[in-house]
Amino acid sequence: MTLTRMRVIVVYTLRSCIGPKRWLGCLLPCVGALLFGLLSRTLNEEAANAFSRVAADGIFALVVPIGALVIGDAVLGAEVRSGTFHFTWLTPTGLTQIVVGRWIGGTIVAFVTIVPACALAALIAGDSQAVGASVIASAFGASAYIAVFIAIGCVARRAAVWSLAFVFLVERLLGAALTGIAQWSPTWESRAVFVDFAPGSANSLVRENIPVGAGAVVRLMLITVIGLAVARWRLSRLQLTGAAD
Amino acid sequence: MTEPVVAPNDPAFASNPTVVVTNTSVWFGQKVALSELSCSFGPGVTGLLGPNGAGKTTLMRAITGLIPANQGTVRVDGRNPRGDRNVHSFMALVPEDEAVPPGLTARQLVRYSADLRGVRDRDAPARALQEVGMLDAADRRVDGFSKGMRQRTKVAAALVADPTVLVLDEPLNGADPVQRAHLIDLFRRLGAEGRTVIVSSHVLNEVERLADRIIVVVHGRLAAAGNQRAIRDAMNDRPRHVLIRADDRRRLASALIGLDSVAGVQFDTDTLVVATSRAAELATSLPVLARDLSVRLREVRPLDDSLESLFRELVR
Repeated sequence: MTLTRMRVIVVYTLRSCIGPKRWLGCLLPCVGALLFGLLSRTLNEEAANAFSRVAADGIFALVVPIGALVIGDAVLGAEVRSGTFHFTWLTPTGLTQIVVGRWIGGTIVAFVTIVPACALAALIAGDSQAVGASVIASAFGASAYIAVFIAIGCVARRAAVWSLAFVFLVERLLGAALTGIAQWSPTWESRAVFVDFAPGSANSLVRENIPVGAGAVVRLMLITVIGLAVARWRLSRLQLTGAAD
Repeated sequence: MTEPVVAPNDPAFASNPTVVVTNTSVWFGQKVALSELSCSFGPGVTGLLGPNGAGKTTLMRAITGLIPANQGTVRVDGRNPRGDRNVHSFMALVPEDEAVPPGLTARQLVRYSADLRGVRDRDAPARALQEVGMLDAADRRVDGFSKGMRQRTKVAAALVADPTVLVLDEPLNGADPVQRAHLIDLFRRLGAEGRTVIVSSHVLNEVERLADRIIVVVHGRLAAAGNQRAIRDAMNDRPRHVLIRADDRRRLASALIGLDSVAGVQFDTDTLVVATSRAAELATSLPVLARDLSVRLREVRPLDDSLESLFRELVR
């Protein structure tokens, strides 16, 4: 029954939560990823070096979070705001199943949009050896981001605003200055995964005192679990007052 | 938690309750939506009445666990709907909101509800849609439906798991007269089968047709409870108006004005309208008076026994 309900929630997420506009909203950052791939070709550097710098500052700091924001907000927060979440909440389905099911649905969408776009960007950049690293970093990064944005969607009504504030103020601004924040930032950690796994990456991108490679993957998984736990906790305290309120 | 003191025949409390609301208060910031409300609901149809903003929807949301009670308790079959998710295997809500999940057909939405509630019968969604007259439109997308069709689809999604407690917030909104009659029959049948059906509606004559029992909520408080007549009887200190059509109106009017139970008499073109605060007493003395005066009574009927007028008095 648990698995059946989980499957039902995943299918519902794909069918109903991600509408045509969301797909478009998700595909735009993917196009951006491809453009970043092209951009790296214009740099007068070795392909691996150039792409790693473009990927670090463009793909993992911009494309992945924006794409994941579109998906992460759609799978739960947008539904709570629109007043249709009661169709799921008013069932005997466990709250953990709901949160995990929605996250799986969102991750599937990310895996067919953001991740292939990041891999393709590496190919366009002429750095085929970075494809694997790009896939791993974007997959774990997007998964973590989706969990974080699901949590923000459960906590705040203006989820998109708070999510953007998280990405640009907390991660980019504070994360750049404070290693303690960067250690728990999907941007910095997915970048650390990529830099460690992609052969020939620019050494200057390795940041001290934050996990890299497999350690960063584990850290991204931890961020995912924490995001889902916060969403689960918040869901049990949610007041579903309807769309009109 | 202080339990409410319940008189043996307190009409606010059902004799065999499945849903019990005890001293429940709900507030949103400074706004108090429910204030120390206590009542219960048992098998059969109970109508929930009140003006806009009275707290009906808040009460329904508290009963189904969508919002927590800031104070007091809500129990459904002895369980807390906020904490015990198994409550939702036998309770369903049809909310007033028009919002429906986009991209799904009616069949997919009802199937979704069935699957999450553990309904194994693959034909159950079709039966539920048939029940509300939506089978023909089952494979059309719900976000393209009219308001009435959305409401009926939501009713089907609620009925698919055969709930024993059904909470319906304005379920007849947008339905045409034929559909309304059909849904009213359906809800009455569900109540007659022993389910606890709680229905709110702003169309008062529908509530009269629907509900065995009525609970009136005004300003978040319980204003009255019981059947229509019981509520009226509980308001005996309020003036009521009785229309009388008789042969000799002037003679009858002058005699009526002398009765203690009559507060005033008003002449209309061919009728009398008597204001009384003691309707039962008037009902006894009027035939005696007419016989003594040899006045023939052609028609006697209360003018304000409809729920609408009752409601106006309650919220005044």
